Amino acid sequence: MTIRNTLRDHGQRYRPRMSCLKKVEKVLLEMQDPKSGVKSQPQRLVITTIPHAITGEDVVAWLADRFQIDTREARSLGSMLVALGFVYPLQDHKRLLLKPDASLYRFQTPYFWPAQQWPVEDTDYAIYLAKRNIRKKGILELHEQEQYNRLHKWMNHKWDFIVMQAKEQYRAAKERKKPDRVVFDCQERAYWVVHRPPPGTVSAMDYGLDRRIDPNAEEVKTPDYYERIMIFTQQSIMRPRVKSSVSIGALVKYCATYNSHDPFLSKCLPSNPWHTDDVTYWTLNMPNVETPTKMRVERWTFSFGELLLDPRGRDDFRRFLKKEFSGENLAFWEGCEDLKWGTAATMREKAEQIYKTFLARGAPRWINIDGKTMEITVNGLKHPHRYVLDAAQTHIYMLMKKDSYGRYMKSQVFKDTLKKAICPEEHKFTDAQLEQNAKNRRPSLSPIILRQQELEERAKMAANAPVDITQLCRFTTPVPHLAVYSGLMDSPTANASSSLAVPCPSPVSVAPDSTSASDRRAEPGGEAERDGGEAARAPGPTCKSRVALSLRRLLRRRCGVGGAPSAVFASLSPRCHAAAGAGGRIRPISPDASSQAPSRRIGNFFQIKVDIPPECRIYPIESEDEDEENRATSQGALGAKEIICPWESLTPHNGAG
Amino acid sequence: MGKEECKTMLDALNKVTACYRHLVVALGSTSDSQNLREELKRTRKKAQELAVANRTKLTSLLKDKSISKEDRAEYERLWVLFSSSMDLLEVDMKRSLEIGQDFPLKVPTRHLIQTGMTGSTGTVAARAMSVQNMKYEADSNIDTADLRDLQAEISQVSQMMEEMEMKVQVAPWAVEAKQEAGAELKSNMSVGNSSVGVISICEEEPKDEEGGGGGDAGLASICAVVVFFVIVTVAVVLGYLVINMS
Repeated sequence: MTIRNTLRDHGQRYRPRMSCLKKVEKVLLEMQDPKSGVKSQPQRLVITTIPHAITGEDVVAWLADRFQIDTREARSLGSMLVALGFVYPLQDHKRLLLKPDASLYRFQTPYFWPAQQWPVEDTDYAIYLAKRNIRKKGILELHEQEQYNRLHKWMNHKWDFIVMQAKEQYRAAKERKKPDRVVFDCQERAYWVVHRPPPGTVSAMDYGLDRRIDPNAEEVKTPDYYERIMIFTQQSIMRPRVKSSVSIGALVKYCATYNSHDPFLSKCLPSNPWHTDDVTYWTLNMPNVETPTKMRVERWTFSFGELLLDPRGRDDFRRFLKKEFSGENLAFWEGCEDLKWGTAATMREKAEQIYKTFLARGAPRWINIDGKTMEITVNGLKHPHRYVLDAAQTHIYMLMKKDSYGRYMKSQVFKDTLKKAICPEEHKFTDAQLEQNAKNRRPSLSPIILRQQELEERAKMAANAPVDITQLCRFTTPVPHLAVYSGLMDSPTANASSSLAVPCPSPVSVAPDSTSASDRRAEPGGEAERDGGEAARAPGPTCKSRVALSLRRLLRRRCGVGGAPSAVFASLSPRCHAAAGAGGRIRPISPDASSQAPSRRIGNFFQIKVDIPPECRIYPIESEDEDEENRATSQGALGAKEIICPWESLTPHNGAG
Repeated sequence: MGKEECKTMLDALNKVTACYRHLVVALGSTSDSQNLREELKRTRKKAQELAVANRTKLTSLLKDKSISKEDRAEYERLWVLFSSSMDLLEVDMKRSLEIGQDFPLKVPTRHLIQTGMTGSTGTVAARAMSVQNMKYEADSNIDTADLRDLQAEISQVSQMMEEMEMKVQVAPWAVEAKQEAGAELKSNMSVGNSSVGVISICEEEPKDEEGGGGGDAGLASICAVVVFFVIVTVAVVLGYLVINMS
């Protein structure tokens, strides 16, 4: 449920930004009153005395009195005054907050007040840095040096002017008396601390984008203005409405669920980094952390969306699915997300890759979606765009949500993770420690580096991706004398039954044990062959490619509408038919194929194209039995219901891929 | 030579702009006064005269097609100097108008911001006007009367800037500066020790090495004073003994 913005902002042109500035100016004027304003005292320096210094506690007391608020709020209001630059601290000038003790502050001169209509110019900053350079005889702070060099590079054409002006301003400043000179330097420095904050200083001047129109100006009531109001109200009337009981109920539920997880409303363990400058919270909640926190794991139980959005949650779910051998669903979903959010240049390849991996007949990680969706998707893939796989993705998402998610919540993987989850202790920092933390603030990794790391991770995962055969029907029955599956050391019967015992996602029905057993028994020689093939697999990729080639051929063969020489496999077909007749989908025999073949490159796998007829049917798997008849009938003539896969038709025999 | 004339006029304009900025900073604070307003007015007028003079000179120089390439580059550089000065001046004038309107002087309860600046800005204005001492002769309602003039002048300046950009085709980004980074340190700026010392004390960072240097400078002067007094005492004592002897 979303909470709509009900303010009448008519297209958001007049969203006021920094309207607080005008209000603060009024408050500041009130503070100057000699009778009812803030009491000032002189600041004693070694040689001179400068008047008009105010203490933090006086400011807080005055604010609390004036606005009738408690000290805490007065303190934060005072900090806002300092952060905006209307009052500046005389000691510790880089920390823009109001300390409610005897530390001294002073009012800023109106020229240096922040104002909406006067943008802060880089030219002025360059002149200031040049003046500072003169005063400090070339020793600037690190961030100032960096800024200086940057401005010198970008404002090079004005640099003569900047140097001249800096010298002249410096000389003009010397004309004033010493105390005034000191005050002016402090003022200017405070101004630039607010508008070009040094690292470690939080600035309050971040206001987002510039608006074309002055938000503080009065709007002229032209006919256009009234036109806009009319359009806005008409659209508001046409908006779909929800019963308030429903919407409020949803809101209440959301608030109740997320209340303890919101760092604004409840404590953030171990401590909120924005308050205490201690980044433990962020390091504990990194995307790829080994042991998540208890709060994080609890969030995963709220909804499937939460689980998927959290990278660590997704990881856990992926592990669970791997155990269940339905990892292809999640992989497909991730591939679709990648397509949606990726660059336009790579879209076509990505869509092609996803199709070949997940959607094509006999794809290595074939996902199970219904016929209609498959049809829509494949039609859309002729002209791939970002959202072409949306229907399939939604289907798979709902599948995972309704089925796998529930089982994940009850699974051992989740229970282990929950047991291992840590609950960090709350930090209790003293004020001195807080100051220390503030001084030790360091910037985090650059987002560019983070993105690179993310891409590397993804590439690694893609390279290690399991190439599991996810369906075993008449199309993918292992052929005995082809060493198709690797890693099959234990007895096929036991393995088959165990794999069959694993429940499949709902639309897939599990073939009865007996059929597969008979299937296996009917291919006695297969075992030996397989083992032989297994041994032969160890050397070289040529073996693998041969295996891949033969498997591919097998898969294509089964789907092929004639045209392929099937002499070798003819003997198998009756058995396969029998198996298929008992009802199709059998779980993969060797789920561990992936672990045994770690560095198998998928590209290699796909580049080998065997003699497939260009017009081939993609069978929606549910209707396999009918398809058998249909196939028989339309053996010679191509059926009217033909879904032509785009790539196979375009690239029939590309060995190089 | 046209170039030298230009440069001196530009220097003058630069000086007046810098002084004007100092004056505007003091507006609205406790060092604001009648005098300040008058100083602002006179500095502004001077700035405008200089601006007009500069502009005519530079436009005539730049319009001249028969100048050499280096000359033209030089004039373009001077042009960029001039237009940047005018930018600063325009912004300062607009701000002074705004602040002047917000802080009128002749109201019964006037709230000037207690910034700690209490001295007068006469010396700065004198520097701008290139006179020894400023003489104040304006009448008492200068703040309101002046604002109207100021508005007129601002529009004048804006108009002038627009004309400038139309008439003279100079690409400001194509100009290469003659000064390199850190050039402001080259010319001998006699940085007064005492001011450095006082300002460093304001900075509350004890680790600041400049504070140490400034402290030393202050200490040195104190030591010098002490030594002087010691010598004077010794001299007095010796003189007394001499007188006693004789």
